[in-house]
Amino acid sequence: MVQTLGDSTILVRFGSRLDENANRRAIGFAAALESDGIAGIVEIVPSLVSVLLRYDPLISRHQDIEGEIRLLLHGVPEERAGAAHRIGVRFGGEAGPDLEEVAGLLRLSPEEFVARHNALPLRVLATGFAPGFVYGGFHPEALTLPRRDTVRPLVPAGSVLFAAGQTAITATDIPTGWHVIGHTDFANFAPDAEPPTRLRAGDSISFEVA
Amino acid sequence: MTATLVIERAGPLTTIQDAGRFGYLAHGISASGPMDGSAYRRAGLLAGSGEAAGVEFSMLGVELTVAEGEAVMGWDGGTFEVSINGRTQSWPGSALLAAGDRLSISAGTGGNYGYLRFGGDIDVPVVIGSRATSMRARIGGLEGRVLRAGDRLAIVADRLSAHHPAKHHAALGPDPRAGARATVAAIRDRGPRVRPEGSAAFGVTLGDAAAGQQKTDGPIRFIWGLHAEVFSAELREKFVTSPFRISSMMDRMGVRLRDEARVFAEERILSLVSDPVVVGDIQILGDGTPIVLGRDHQPTGGYPRIGTIISADLDRFFQLRPNAELVFAPVGLDHAQALLRSAIL
Repeated sequence: MVQTLGDSTILVRFGSRLDENANRRAIGFAAALESDGIAGIVEIVPSLVSVLLRYDPLISRHQDIEGEIRLLLHGVPEERAGAAHRIGVRFGGEAGPDLEEVAGLLRLSPEEFVARHNALPLRVLATGFAPGFVYGGFHPEALTLPRRDTVRPLVPAGSVLFAAGQTAITATDIPTGWHVIGHTDFANFAPDAEPPTRLRAGDSISFEVA
Repeated sequence: MTATLVIERAGPLTTIQDAGRFGYLAHGISASGPMDGSAYRRAGLLAGSGEAAGVEFSMLGVELTVAEGEAVMGWDGGTFEVSINGRTQSWPGSALLAAGDRLSISAGTGGNYGYLRFGGDIDVPVVIGSRATSMRARIGGLEGRVLRAGDRLAIVADRLSAHHPAKHHAALGPDPRAGARATVAAIRDRGPRVRPEGSAAFGVTLGDAAAGQQKTDGPIRFIWGLHAEVFSAELREKFVTSPFRISSMMDRMGVRLRDEARVFAEERILSLVSDPVVVGDIQILGDGTPIVLGRDHQPTGGYPRIGTIISADLDRFFQLRPNAELVFAPVGLDHAQALLRSAIL
């Protein structure tokens, strides 16, 4: 679905709920746009189930851009083979104050939880919620919990968060209602680097005990 | 022309801004840049700034002294009180300030944001392609933060003006370098020279700059949003016929509106899977509060967006003060883009 968002952006949406299929299609479409290119598009932002395209209305007509988008959507964009990253995490303790509670809610010991959590690599579902923040998914159904009832006003950069069948990593200090299960030294935001973040949507991340 | 400036007083949200840090939403960084982009550009024309960064200040203004050197300064945006060494100046305006001069900008009759720009660049590092301060990402500007009393800013020749010396000639007379000492002496004797309104400044007349000003009243125009269909036709009708008020909860990230007609009061707002958001998006929070996203907006959002304010009306919207009443009027995409083309300076 191609939607107008203000007078300088278009949102291409692949679903109204977060699921694997919509997410893969959004990432694949963004990759196809990046490799094929559409004249006049100045920014491509893949998200959980949509892709935002910014264009310069002083240069391009929205009708032309929308036409090109529809042509590209007719093809079957293949998901880009993402880079693979290994991320060391200190689970539990001060680094992960919610680990025991999370394991308990899933009727697992903390050790069992960590083993299952790290068993399979996750895909980076989306970036961009905050500088360097990434959502990784999906865990199997048996490893799915809702968010906490309360929001922590601030968790430090490098926090490893768990909720909604996903594991997320923060790269700046942010408030969150997700469970904090660990901490990583992997820093996905460096303002003096280009690009300033390393993980991209579609990349693969494997967690290991640091 | 170089100078060292000392911030003597800074109202809240005084930041260094340039045109913005576009292209990094996927990295979680919104563009920032001046809340009132057209006023920022007009101030730049008054000072001959080119692409160089400037200072954005909020309702209480800013005060600075020149510790060393000299610099042309131009100011515009909203209506503030401005004086140099105690002498009232016109708003907007420009002047050449030299060591010992004090520029004082204080609250005026209208607007939330004003701009001070210089005949040179502010010597702060370029971070991710821009000098703009991002309050959200805490990068850019001076150490990624607001300016405060005691901060020192160096104004240095910017690369663009260095390639276009004619720009400075037009402003400072036929031979600005030879005349610099005399100019400084003249300032000491008679106070800073202020160009009368309408005179040629850097090859651009104030009349031209004023022509770029947006209209100051009338409805705020928007394009129906991503989730307009989430709301009933009846509610949408109420949305475009009811007045809203600017609340006091506003900053560079967003402006909360007071919904006195209770347009959204009875709505059960569901949160949605998050998508990227853009400046001007009108989000309806879970408790029914409408919030318009600012230049330092969060990169993504999961609240329904009933509409997006058009680019041509954003500057005017962000200048509306707390308690100001506004109405929203829907326009089509083609109309919005035609307005944008005609609004560019």
